[in-house]
Amino acid sequence: MSTKIKEDILIRMQNDLKRALTKPVEKRKWAMLIDLRKCVGCHACTIACKAENVLPPGVVYRRVLEIESGKYPDVERHFVPVLCNHCDKTPCVDACPVKATKKRVDGIVDIDYNHCIGCRACLNACPYGARTSDFGKFYTQDTPKIQPYELRPAFEYQKKWYRKKGNSPIGNARKCHFCLHRIESGLLPECVVTCIGKATYFGDIEDKSSLIFEIINSNNVKVLKEKLKLKPRVYYIGLKEELL
Amino acid sequence: MKEEKNIEKFCKKIIELKLTRRDFLKSSVFLGGSAILLSELEKLYALVEKVSKDKLTTIQQYELSKAENILHTVCLQCNTGCGIKVKLFNGIAAKIDGNPYSPWTMTPHINYQTPLVESTTIDAAICPKGQAGVQTVYDPYRIVKVLKRTGPRGSNKWKTISFEQAINEIVNGGKLFADIGEDRYIEGFKDIWALRDAKISKDMAKAVKEILDEKDKEKKKSLVEEFKIKFKEYLHTLIDPDHPDLGPKNNQFVFMWGRMKAGRSDFVNRFVKDSFGSVNAHGHTTVCQGSLYFAGKVMSYQWDYDEKDAKMKWTKEKKFYWQCDTANSEFIIFVGASPFEANYGPPLRVGKITENLVNKKLKFVVIDPRFSKTAAKAEKWIPIKPGTEAAFALGMIRWIIENKKYDSKYLTNANKAAAKEDKEPTWCNATWLVKIEDGKPGRFLRGSDIGVPKEKRIFKDKKTAEEKHYDFDAFVVLKNYKTITFDPNDENNPVEGDLFVNTEVNGIKVKSAFQILWEEASKNTIEKWAKICGVKADDIIELAKEFTSHGKKAAADIHRGVSQHTNGFYNVYAWLTLNLLIGNYDWKGGMVQLSTFNHLGEKEGQPYNLKKLHPDKMTPFGIDIIRHGEYEKSTLFKGYPAKRPWYPIASDVYQEIIPSIGDAYPYPVKILMMYMAAPTYSLPAGNTNIDVLVDTKKIPLVIACDITIGTSSMYADYIFPDLSYLERWEFHGSHPSVTQKVQPIRQPTIAPLVETVKVFGEEMPICLESVLLAIAEKLGLKGFGKDGFAAGMDFKRPEDFYLKMVANVAYGEKPEGKDSVPDADLKEMKIFYEARRHLPKSVFDPVKWEKACGSEYWKKVVYVLNRGGRFQNYEDAYEAEQAKNKYGKLINLYSEKLAKTKNSMTGETFSGVATFIPITDCLGRPIEDEKEGYNLNLITYREISQCKTRTAPNYWLLSLLPENFILINSQDAKNLGLKDGSIVKVTSASNPDGILDLKNGRKIYIIGKVKVTEGIRPGVVAFSLGYGNWATGSSDYIVDGKLIKGDSRRGKGVHCNPVMRTDPYLKNTCLVDLVGGSVSFYDTKVKLTPIS
Repeated sequence: MSTKIKEDILIRMQNDLKRALTKPVEKRKWAMLIDLRKCVGCHACTIACKAENVLPPGVVYRRVLEIESGKYPDVERHFVPVLCNHCDKTPCVDACPVKATKKRVDGIVDIDYNHCIGCRACLNACPYGARTSDFGKFYTQDTPKIQPYELRPAFEYQKKWYRKKGNSPIGNARKCHFCLHRIESGLLPECVVTCIGKATYFGDIEDKSSLIFEIINSNNVKVLKEKLKLKPRVYYIGLKEELL
Repeated sequence: MKEEKNIEKFCKKIIELKLTRRDFLKSSVFLGGSAILLSELEKLYALVEKVSKDKLTTIQQYELSKAENILHTVCLQCNTGCGIKVKLFNGIAAKIDGNPYSPWTMTPHINYQTPLVESTTIDAAICPKGQAGVQTVYDPYRIVKVLKRTGPRGSNKWKTISFEQAINEIVNGGKLFADIGEDRYIEGFKDIWALRDAKISKDMAKAVKEILDEKDKEKKKSLVEEFKIKFKEYLHTLIDPDHPDLGPKNNQFVFMWGRMKAGRSDFVNRFVKDSFGSVNAHGHTTVCQGSLYFAGKVMSYQWDYDEKDAKMKWTKEKKFYWQCDTANSEFIIFVGASPFEANYGPPLRVGKITENLVNKKLKFVVIDPRFSKTAAKAEKWIPIKPGTEAAFALGMIRWIIENKKYDSKYLTNANKAAAKEDKEPTWCNATWLVKIEDGKPGRFLRGSDIGVPKEKRIFKDKKTAEEKHYDFDAFVVLKNYKTITFDPNDENNPVEGDLFVNTEVNGIKVKSAFQILWEEASKNTIEKWAKICGVKADDIIELAKEFTSHGKKAAADIHRGVSQHTNGFYNVYAWLTLNLLIGNYDWKGGMVQLSTFNHLGEKEGQPYNLKKLHPDKMTPFGIDIIRHGEYEKSTLFKGYPAKRPWYPIASDVYQEIIPSIGDAYPYPVKILMMYMAAPTYSLPAGNTNIDVLVDTKKIPLVIACDITIGTSSMYADYIFPDLSYLERWEFHGSHPSVTQKVQPIRQPTIAPLVETVKVFGEEMPICLESVLLAIAEKLGLKGFGKDGFAAGMDFKRPEDFYLKMVANVAYGEKPEGKDSVPDADLKEMKIFYEARRHLPKSVFDPVKWEKACGSEYWKKVVYVLNRGGRFQNYEDAYEAEQAKNKYGKLINLYSEKLAKTKNSMTGETFSGVATFIPITDCLGRPIEDEKEGYNLNLITYREISQCKTRTAPNYWLLSLLPENFILINSQDAKNLGLKDGSIVKVTSASNPDGILDLKNGRKIYIIGKVKVTEGIRPGVVAFSLGYGNWATGSSDYIVDGKLIKGDSRRGKGVHCNPVMRTDPYLKNTCLVDLVGGSVSFYDTKVKLTPIS
């Protein structure tokens, strides 16, 4: 009897990603899906993102909310990862006085660190609280020595960003970019690969043979704050927004 | 050939490279040196990377995804051992992700044969701790030089000394602390190393065994006298010549470890046992889940010929346990186990569970007083009363037997042949007849009891061709009122028996093992069992029904919540017996065991048998400090109760080590060495260990090997810095729920951050290995140094040992290398060298590496190291509906061994079958602290984001949860007038003031914040482990007269272990399980007092 099992969803999505990268950038439509039935609230995504993007204290791209409801013994616990929704309608972009943040053709909302003046207007404009400011802090700054993991460059937007006073991204607004630097090198976003519940899906939503397309179309998916009609590109299965 | 030469050239070039990164690491004692200000950042930054003008130009390929910047190894942020890839940037571990070759991170993982370059873009899943690993490695509070205390033990005053000085002092002894006014002579290793003759040690060991085995008191005495005459010239080497069974003075050196994996543990055992000749090398199993392991051990004893003893006996047992085959089960009961948070679960189990949950292939329930993250996804949460786990299982067993829902086809098989006939990989002894002696089930009925003569058998030694004669006395079953005798391992004559037997045979009262189990289970009605557990009877029935509705694809998966009670062993035994009722062992979706590639080279044909590669091995003998043996056999026997418990079943009884030293029972200890051990923090009532550690009379010399000044190493006289998990070797092994045969290998991925020293003329970093090698060098211990393995085979460097192990793993376990991995091709050889270009010669010297493993195995070794170990492909772990890597033997539903073993405190024999025992002290007396108002049952749990003290430096993780809290049900909170965030003091009957006294002038009150929740059983309160550190960089130290300010972030939250109940009889030790050795984590009753 065959014991063949399906490939891990990471392999499937990796292949989807490679296929998408063969298309011109304007034809790629990146999206994320989080199946909350599979999210176990481990916070690996939060930490992996911090490590990948060398995020300082106070800066977080992806958080996981934990909500308890019910009465003993009928208790429920919900875990909801939240991040930049990469909305098609972008109050953050509209709020930027220097056009340092924009909606890319592939759907990602990016920040040009070299132009951002750190005015925080986008922070206030985002209804999801997805943006934070980089105040130039270090986790190990008050210890005997600042450690190399905080001094090595981040590779965001495919450039090397050293954390040095006066250099970007210190002083800038920061947020999730779907790990653009990884995607364009053929790697899935960090939060996707490290998801131990295999709850996070990523890919080109317009590629009908992709896993993300398949899952979105075979499930009842929701977005956060649908009423705002911002057309987020982060979808959820099993979202109970009334609990948030 | 040309290409090969190029590679050689390339390799040489790597070695010649000057590594500027080393400059970054040279500093004073701490990795951090003295405190710096932000303004100094510039300088540091320049050392990490010279700023180049093109730093903002777009990169071609993401540097961290290039094969030459990736090394594969194994995580150690907890003991799960997930495969990881360390991504390097200028020699620095910049990022860690999951290794896709490892079955821990993907389902299925990528094929082992996948070329390395194809794996570079595949990052796989690891948990938040794994992601934060760089913060454990690059910890500003790591020590890099040897420290010697300059104040009383625990005072946190230190000076740095040279490695050579430290080795000289601990080996030669002397008035080592005269400079701080301690006028005592301390014996060094050379003094404790009393017995040095391997031949004499062997002869003495044999004579001592005869003394122990002699049951007659008078004869025992005369054997002791004979011993004294026979070895009269060596009596000075003994601890006490009147008690030769205490062994030589060598035993007064004790090595204890917290987390240590194979490779390193083999190194330590070689040093302590084989070369130094002490029996005292002990691990920490009982603080984790000892009673789980030792229940597995009891269930795995085989009745077989024992070559050493030249007779049939209960033997070939394994210290192990089973877990369920997570990916293929249809129904799982998780009891006291939370794979989403701990349980060696994430990431290797979580993805399998969530995937099957969503696809509706799996249902699972959780039995746990706390609503864990696992319970959050469960079909049902059953908040059981702690310590009643066996009662729940027995309730289910009762229902299953009453309703005949057990797998009788499986259970009736009495031997291997019968199992084979039914295509069952295992069989059990449910039908075997047990003699009822004095109203109690005892030994199995034997052929000789019913007139069937013992069979004469011959054992022929394969190597020597020597023939040994021995007797085989058959076991007996009853089938249709007739007795049948049989051999459990007989492959040709199937024997089945009746399940229910309660009769007399030949005038002997007998019962079948299954009957005995039934009588245990039917002691109470299901309603009564449910009442004991504080659950509904319907819950028990519902689970029993569901459990027996999936054939072999159901499993009860258990962990610490079951085993860490005073009745832990029998809780475990009950749940593992429940699994036996559906015969799910070795079946896909049932209970499975782990399987690893042998690294020691014990299998035929493997290149290096490291157990034998020792020129002059000592035979360590005598009772060890934790008394892993039988009290009544020893010459110390003075009636019951014993002064302290003896552990005939359990080994690595962690909680016994330091308190036994404190009580000098069975003998005083002179040198204690602690490795990666934090007993004062991790043990329940671990604070009792502090009292002993600070007393220089009780332990004259304490040595620690640690990466920081830890909660226990702070009490040492000397601390040797160690390498972190990204800088060193280990063979991590596996966990039962991994069905593939594997051997994950931990290897150096970055340059060592500690000082480099010279031992045996070789440069190497200060670490556990170099300390042991240096002691061996100074003493002249056999088994190390020149010809350390054999003539012409030196053991001068750690790699001389570890690379031989890698060669064994690469070679595999089949003769003629039929099972060996392929050679690394040129491309992979190049990647291998290139990815190690940042490693200094002191850890990576390709010429020495190749020599250590043997040139013929070198390319295979590279193939394995390139992948971070060896991993069987996913599908190869199954054959049809069964696991491929089978246990495949007898499983004891009834243990004769146990039924014959005596409790050292009461003198009574243990139960041979699963049973429910209430919570007691070590004398079997109930603990009635509720009467004094301590009415909340304290339990612990683990956040997935914390391990124990080792995650204290992980600032990213602390940002998720800066401090822990005490979980309390809203009803209890209301009764006590507590709200979310209220501050309370935790007290117990044995710590009524709720104080942790560090014995250095600092006292810590056990005070924490409460979190009111619906997700815990009323009457139970819980706190998560890993918080409330009092060292490990959380408080100030003085080194070389300079103050190093601690970082209070690392010590936030509350650690309630110090209020955990001490045993009323032992006083300096927590509550214990006398059978499985487990410490009790979940049986203390506490009081919460609001603090305004």
